Amino acid sequence: MITTIIDWIDERTKIRSIWDFITNRPIPGGASWFYVLGSTLLFIFILQMLSGIFLALYYVPTPDHAYASVKYIQNEAFLGSLVRGMHHWGASFMMVLIALHMLRVFIFGSYKKPRELVWLLGIGLIGIVFGFAFTGYLLPWDQKAYWATVVGTNVAGTVPVVGGLLVKIMRGGAELGNLTLSRFHAIHTYILPWSLALLAGMHIFLLELAGAGGRWNPARNTPDKTEPLFPHQIFKDSIVILIVFLAITALAVLSPAGLEPQADPTDTTYNPRPEWYFYFVFQLLRIFEGRYEVIGTFILPTIAGMLLMLLPFVDRNPERAPAKRKLLMAIAAVTVVGVLGLTILGGMAPVPSVTAPSVLAGRLLYEKNGCSACHSIHAKGGAIGPDLTHVGSKRDRDWLIRHFKDPQAFSPGSIMPKTALPENELNELTDYMQSLK
Amino acid sequence: MSNNDVSRRSFMVRTIIVIFAFIGASLGAALGGFGIIPALKKRETGWSDAGTVAELTVGQPQERRFSELVKSGWQSEKQDRTIWIVKKTDNSVVAYSSSCTHLGCGYRWVEAQQRFACPCHGSFFDINGTVLAGPAPRSLDTLPARVENNRLLVRYEVFQLGSSAKVRV
Repeated sequence: MITTIIDWIDERTKIRSIWDFITNRPIPGGASWFYVLGSTLLFIFILQMLSGIFLALYYVPTPDHAYASVKYIQNEAFLGSLVRGMHHWGASFMMVLIALHMLRVFIFGSYKKPRELVWLLGIGLIGIVFGFAFTGYLLPWDQKAYWATVVGTNVAGTVPVVGGLLVKIMRGGAELGNLTLSRFHAIHTYILPWSLALLAGMHIFLLELAGAGGRWNPARNTPDKTEPLFPHQIFKDSIVILIVFLAITALAVLSPAGLEPQADPTDTTYNPRPEWYFYFVFQLLRIFEGRYEVIGTFILPTIAGMLLMLLPFVDRNPERAPAKRKLLMAIAAVTVVGVLGLTILGGMAPVPSVTAPSVLAGRLLYEKNGCSACHSIHAKGGAIGPDLTHVGSKRDRDWLIRHFKDPQAFSPGSIMPKTALPENELNELTDYMQSLK
Repeated sequence: MSNNDVSRRSFMVRTIIVIFAFIGASLGAALGGFGIIPALKKRETGWSDAGTVAELTVGQPQERRFSELVKSGWQSEKQDRTIWIVKKTDNSVVAYSSSCTHLGCGYRWVEAQQRFACPCHGSFFDINGTVLAGPAPRSLDTLPARVENNRLLVRYEVFQLGSSAKVRV
């Protein structure tokens, strides 16, 4: 039955010969575990597309609703946490695998003639993946999203001459707001996916035309060792894809994507930190100060990008064995160690301990116990109880603590409930009140 | 193939190229303008009430919040603002934008060290807004402010960050 249907289709489309052409594609020197990274990246891209499309069923890209819709996805929608978690962890895996893929191609010398264009498209794809990461970040509209994007867009502002213009174009205006969110959303869900699909398609097609590179030692790429793509290489690919899929799923379940409080542009107590794959940029910003800043934000990344693009045209020696390309291997090693080092340092960067931990704890207690239902601080909260914006300069510690325990003793007729917090939490809440001056 | 055919063929080829170059250029210009020009509009600002100045003490910066109505594309919305205000010894009041001049993180006053600290990349400013340490390229940005009937009126403005020149956007 199935054969009959395929025969019918084949008669009209020659689908069998297309299938044969693709699956019999020769892998010089035979299939290898080193070659699995490209197909795994393709798999993650499809996973990101699918999970992203389904997230869009609930997500709303406006500052009024973005946070609530993501919160709904995360906490209420059936399997929402899993789908969002897969999208979140898929992004991290894409970063790691695309770096490994590039490193593999670099070490194997696979970028050399006739595959220069494949390499160039690969550099473009890395740019697109970073674009995805940067624009995806803002969409949940939580504190991390908002502040990382404030900093990220301002980094673009340090580009000489056109920086100011660039920031405005990225943000859709002078400030981060509704226009930034709709812009980032359009870029993340329409422009970048189509660009990536197009470039990835060309990347694969041009590799097909130029032929896979195989082993770096030409002596090992003999016809007797050649294996077909299917099933030999696809088998290895599938095993790794399965492992990656299980890892992403497990992480999505065990360590769900975070969601911080809703974005608050007026919060001066928040300590912004980027996602881990931007730690190396974050650390560069800490190293290059003042007028040298532009080195970290613009000059170094531009030089790195240019060098990567020029690599196949500068290094035209057909020799591919790493042992005979010692200088390049050394440069690669230094770069890898450098990026890893910056990433680790960025992750450990200290936060200036300017707000006492007890004040922060008190602030959380204030939120948790619903104090803002009656009281307002900086014009946020209810109007039933007194405004607490400057309570720290009006009441002393002793008064505050005794008042918490028995409000009516101080303000007869007060409807404030007696606070039944343990002593340490009462102290933290009082510390927070005292910090409001 | 006669010469006539060649010129006919090259005419068609050129026409096809011109047609699609024209469509490409005009569509590109229109879409580019649509995407970019509205973003370059200068934001309009008005005066906002940032509270009383009676509670200010010299040498003790205060964080003030207020909201203003901001038109952002299709939306007019109430936007919350934070500023830092400092009373000087001559009783004048200075208002600072709450964005660190480096890359825009919200900085805070550290009472114990008598200085402003930014949590992102470690910039520090003294009470007059001068950079003490860190990557910030210029002093804290002051905002136009005036005192009327004991209330501080502030015009909230946004400046380009990360550069040594204070340029309003």
